[in-house]
Amino acid sequence: MMLPTTGQALLSVEHLTKRYKGVVALDDVTFAITDGITGILGENGAGKSTVIKILLGLLQPTSGSATILGQSATDSVDVRARVGYMPEHDCLPSDVSAAEFLTHMGEVSGLPPDMARTRSADTLRHVGLFEERYRSIGGYSTGMKQRVKLCQALVHDPAFVFLDEPTAGLDPAGREEMLTLIRKTHREFGISVLFSSHLMADVERTCDRIIVLQGGHLVHTGEVADYIMETTTVFIEVDTNREELATALESRGVAVTAERGGLTVEGSDESVYDQVRDALVEAEAPLRRMAPRRRELTELFERESK
Amino acid sequence: MTGGTVFDIGYQSYAGVREGRGRGRRAVFKDGVRIALGLGRGSRAKILPWLFIALLAGIGLIFALVAGAAERLAGPEAAAGMDLPSHSDYNGIASMIMFVFAALVGPELLCRDRKDGVINLYLVRPLTGTDYVVSRWAAFLVIMTAAAWLPQIILFLGLSMGAPLPMDYLAKHWLDVPRFLAAGLAMALYAATLALLTASFTSRRAYASVFLVGVFVITAPFTIGVSSEIGGTVGQWISMFNLTNIPVHVNDVIFGDISEVTSEAEARHLPEWVRVGWFFAWVFGTGGLLWWRYRRLAP
Repeated sequence: MMLPTTGQALLSVEHLTKRYKGVVALDDVTFAITDGITGILGENGAGKSTVIKILLGLLQPTSGSATILGQSATDSVDVRARVGYMPEHDCLPSDVSAAEFLTHMGEVSGLPPDMARTRSADTLRHVGLFEERYRSIGGYSTGMKQRVKLCQALVHDPAFVFLDEPTAGLDPAGREEMLTLIRKTHREFGISVLFSSHLMADVERTCDRIIVLQGGHLVHTGEVADYIMETTTVFIEVDTNREELATALESRGVAVTAERGGLTVEGSDESVYDQVRDALVEAEAPLRRMAPRRRELTELFERESK
Repeated sequence: MTGGTVFDIGYQSYAGVREGRGRGRRAVFKDGVRIALGLGRGSRAKILPWLFIALLAGIGLIFALVAGAAERLAGPEAAAGMDLPSHSDYNGIASMIMFVFAALVGPELLCRDRKDGVINLYLVRPLTGTDYVVSRWAAFLVIMTAAAWLPQIILFLGLSMGAPLPMDYLAKHWLDVPRFLAAGLAMALYAATLALLTASFTSRRAYASVFLVGVFVITAPFTIGVSSEIGGTVGQWISMFNLTNIPVHVNDVIFGDISEVTSEAEARHLPEWVRVGWFFAWVFGTGGLLWWRYRRLAP
C-alpha cells in the first residue's frame, strides 16, 4: 500500500452526510487531515463517532465520500492494516496477559507471529508496561488498561490512529500520562493521530489542529495555535482602583469588560496599549499584569450556541 | 568484570511483511482453538474442555476393552453373536455428551468477545464480521471433530489389536474408518454450528449453555412422546424435531443400521435422503443465521 507523502491528506471527507431514521448524524461535512495530531471536538451526539466509524469502513455514509491513506474508506478492508483504533469503552479480556493479547492483535492486523511478539513487547515498553506484560489484564489499574488499549492500536505500527476519548475515566495523573503518550505517538513514533474528545483542555494541550462538530455540522477546522493565539483583547490586572481604571478607559472610548478579577479591553494594536498606560496613570492603579488574552477552545462552542 | 551500556534505540517502525486478511483469519482461528481448550488461561478454563475430551476418549477406551476382552475370552464366533459395542453405537451414546460439550464450551468462543468488548477491536482490523465468525466456527469445528474422532480411533485400534488376527480385522472392517470419520464430522458440524448460533444471541456464556442444554433435554422426551402418540407420517416428522437425534440419524445412514438412541424414534422410518436432507437443512440453516448475525456487525 502506498502511503500519502508528507503534506498530502492522510484522511479526507467530502460532503459527508449520514442519516439514520429521522436523524441527521452528519450534514455535508468536508475536511482533510494531514500529518500530525488532530482533535475532533464535539458534545455527545455531535457526530464524532459517526465520522470515525465511516472512516474505519464500519458505516456506509448516506452520501459523500471518505478517503483514508489514499483509499476509499468504505470499500477497502485492507486499509485497516495501516490504521489503529482505540475505543472509548472497555475492550480488553481480563484473563489474558497484555503480552499475549497484543501479540494476538498484531497477528490479527496481519503481522507474522514472531514479529507480532516482538512488536508487542516493544510497544508495551514504550508505554511503560514492559515489567507488567505477563500479568493478566484483569489485575491492571484503569490507567494501565488505557495504556494497553493504546498499545493494541499501535502494535501493528499503523500510519494513522484514531483515539476515541482516550482520557475518559482517568485521574489527573493518568490523564497527564495519556496526553504525554499521545504526543509521543506522533512526535517519536511518527504516527498521525485523530483524537476525539469533549474535553477542550486535553485537545488544546495536545493537538496541532482541531475539527469541531456540533449537531452533525462542521463548526470550525484549523490550527489550534492559530485559534488560541489569535488575540483581539488585552487582559489587565491591577492591585487596586479597578473601577477607576475602567472609568478612565471608558472616558477614552475604549470598550472594557470586567472579568476574572481584572479588566478585558477590546483591541490589540499599539494605540490601545497607549490608552491603557494613560488610564493607569489617571486612575493611579498599580499594574500587576497586562497581556494579550489567549482565546480558549470553549469559546468556539459559546460562539456557535449564541 | 566487563561493563556494558544499555542504549534505548527508541521506537522502531515496522517495515517487514504484512500478511493481510489471511493472517488475521488464521490468528482468530488459532485463538479460537486456544479458547476452546483453555490454553494460555487459568486452570479453571481448562477443566471443562479436557474433562469432556477425557470422558469421550474414556468411553471409547472402555468400548475397546470390552470388545477385546469378549473376543479373547469367549472366542471370535461367540463374540460375533454378542451385541458388542460398535462404532455406530459409540456415536449414539456419545452424542449427548458431545452436545453438552458443545453447549458448555462453544459459547465461550463468541460470548467472551462480546462481553469484554474485544469484538470491537476485531472489527476495526483487516477482518470482516464474516471472517471473524467463520474463523471462530472453524476453530470450534476442529475441536469438536477431534473430540468425535479421537475415541473412535481408540476404539478402532482397540478392536484391531484385540482381535485374534488384527490384519484380518483391518481387512474386514477398514470401511469403518471413513464411516466413523464422516459420522463424527456430521456430529461436530451440527453441534458446533448450533452452539455458536445460540452464543451469537447473548454475551453471557451461561445463558447460551443453559438454553442449549435445555433445548436438547426438553425436545427429546417431548418429541418422543408426541410422535409415538400421533404416529404415522406426522409423528415421524415430529420425531425429526428431536434435536439430539438429527446427527444420529445421519450416523445410522452412514453405518446402515439403527443405533440404540434412534431405535425408538419414529423418524427412523423416514427415507434416508429425508433424514440426511433434514440434517443439512439444520446445519445450513443455523450456519446461515449465524453468518447473518455477524455479517453487518459493527462496534
